[in-house]
This record gives sequence, C-alpha cells and structure tokens, in this order.
Amino acid sequence: MAKAPKTKDSSGSKSGGGDNFTRWLVAGMVGLVVVVAVAFSLFSNRTNTAATLPSTVKQSDGYGISFNSGIKPVIDIWEDFQCPVCKNFEAVVGEYLNQLIVEKKVNVIFHTLSFIGDESILAANAAACASDEDKFLPFHALLYQTQSAKENSGLWNAKSLQDLGAQVGATSDKFTACVKDGTYAQWVANVASDGAKKNVNSTPTVFINGVEIDRNTQYFNLEAFKAALVTAGLKG
Amino acid sequence: MKNRFWLLQPWITLLFRLILGGVLLAAGGLKVGHLQKSAMAVRAYEVLPISVANVIGYSLPWIEVGLAIFLILGVFVKQSAMASGALMFIFILGIAQAGIRGLSIDCGCFGGGGQVAAGQTKYLAEIFRDVGLLAIALALTKFPGGKFGLDRQ
Repeated sequence: MAKAPKTKDSSGSKSGGGDNFTRWLVAGMVGLVVVVAVAFSLFSNRTNTAATLPSTVKQSDGYGISFNSGIKPVIDIWEDFQCPVCKNFEAVVGEYLNQLIVEKKVNVIFHTLSFIGDESILAANAAACASDEDKFLPFHALLYQTQSAKENSGLWNAKSLQDLGAQVGATSDKFTACVKDGTYAQWVANVASDGAKKNVNSTPTVFINGVEIDRNTQYFNLEAFKAALVTAGLKG
Repeated sequence: MKNRFWLLQPWITLLFRLILGGVLLAAGGLKVGHLQKSAMAVRAYEVLPISVANVIGYSLPWIEVGLAIFLILGVFVKQSAMASGALMFIFILGIAQAGIRGLSIDCGCFGGGGQVAAGQTKYLAEIFRDVGLLAIALALTKFPGGKFGLDRQ
C-alpha cells in the first residue's frame, strides 16, 4: 500500500529521489498558478476608482447611467445586453420608460452588467459611448432589437457596434474611437463590481426607490409596472 | 479474494482519481471564464455575507481546477481527496439549506447558477451527485496509492 509522505518539509525532495522531486515540482507549479490566478481574479474584480467615466455617470449612482437625477421615483435597472429576459423586459416597458424620461417624471438609472461575456462588455462600453453623444436611449433600444439569439456569437464587435451607433445618429470620431478603443471598459467592470456588492443575482433586476419589484408579477406586465410606479409616487 | 482486492485497488484508485478530478476540472474550467457569474451563484445561496461570497465566487473555480490537476496527476492524492471531500460536504450542506429554505436557485456547480423559476430546481439530483463524489473522495483518502500517479509508491 502506498502512503503519501506528509508535507513535513522540503527534505522530502532529497530523500525521495527523482520521483519525489517531480511531485514537489508539479505541486509547486500548480499551486503557484492557482494562487496567482486567484489573486488576479480578486484584483480585477475590484472597483477601479481611476476608471474613465461616461459624462452622465456619477459614482454615487453606483456607476449607472442616470436620467433625470434628483427626481422621484428612482428606477434602477440592472441588465445585460445579451440577456434574453432583459430583451423581454425592454419590449414590455421600454417605450413607456422612455416616455417618462422625456417627460422628466422619473429618474431612471441603467446599470449595464456584463456577466454573460465579452460581447456584453463591448455592448455596455458602446452604450456608454453613445450616452456621451446623448444617444443612449435609442442605442439601448436598438441593441435589444438586434440581440443575437446566441450568446457571444460574434454579432457585436467594434465594427457592428459603430454601425448600430450610426443608425441612431452617433457618428462622431469620438464615438467611433470610443467604441473601438473600449474607452469605458474599466467603467463596465466597475458597474459589475457594484452589482456584486448590491447582491444583484439575475438580470434584469429592477428596483423602484431602492426596493426590488416582484419578479413574478411586476416585471413583464406593463399595467402592474405602472401601478408599482404610482405607488412609489409617480405623478400623472 | 483479498489478494484480488489488492491487485485491483490501484486501478480503482486511478479510476476514482480520474472521475473526481474530471468532475472538478469540468466544474472549475466552466467557471473560470465567468467569474462574475460564479460570484452571483455563490451569493444566491444567501448564506455568506456578500463580500465573502464574492471572494469565494472569484477564487473557488481556480481552486477546483488546482485540485483536479493534483488528483489527475496523482500528486498529494490523500490531501487533495480530503480537500475535495470537504468541498463536496460544504456543497451538500449549501444545496440542502437552499432546498429546505425554499430558495429557487441553480447550484451553479458547472457554471450558471443564480435564481431560477420555482419548480426548476434540481436539489435532490445535485445532492445525490455530490454524495457520490464525497464517497469517492473518502475512498481515495483511505486508498490514495494508485496507478500512474506521481506520489511515491
């Protein structure tokens, strides 16, 4: 019966001969890689306070893209542009929300999460670029309209996102460069880390005045959604 | 009969190492590219403080991959099996408490995770699988010496 020698000290590598040396070498390398990977993962998921922020973003809004800051009720929407359920939500309430934003009746804060993958990051970055051009809302709607049925399918890349931007009137060199360079990639990571701190565990997640509405009844029913807003103080 | 067991045991140990290591490699490997989702899955168990859950979500997939490589290559099999068994035990407790408290979550064992619709939960199957893996880990702790391992025979 073989018995694994206990990890007393490094003397094992001398007494055990070549085989034991290999064993320690492999264990050491694998251990080192794991430790480095964990450290890197923890570090890269921290909030980077030096990140470049889109012009409409304040750290106090949890890095979200805010419309009509200061008005009540406040609607926080946590979403991922690649999430099909978010597309459903947008289809049900998107137009109504846009109208409320234009009429300055609500403060909507969009938090663009990116846990589905690389194309979520690209799309969220491009949406932030569009917000600098005052085109966030139409770009937001267009992203959902063109959402791929498959995650990270290659549909969204720098070129295609620039083209989508052009469709809503974002054509400046600044926008084009912003999409291509991923100017706000670090901001996208900050939104994600803020969502993690606020225990957002699925998308979409919608809070009205800081309280999550009922996922089973109020997310995908426009009348129920309106009623929830009225309860929260929406006027006329 | 006894002789035959000692003849077969190193091969069974190898098989068990590959099963447990293979499952851990798949579980960790599917998650390392989606660490935000992994943190989300840990938070959804609603056991740990958010900040602790996030740290575990970001690091656990790497630890699973590391343990898997140890088991597959046969390095420190006994210790790796003990650690894997401890993980399985914690997973079983986590899933069981989610079931008992009536949470609707996916275990997030192989990526995914987070809230699912009520009635979409698979707690019993997940627990059975982890009990099986725990048994394999315990067997490896008892018989760590097997074929094609780097541990000294």
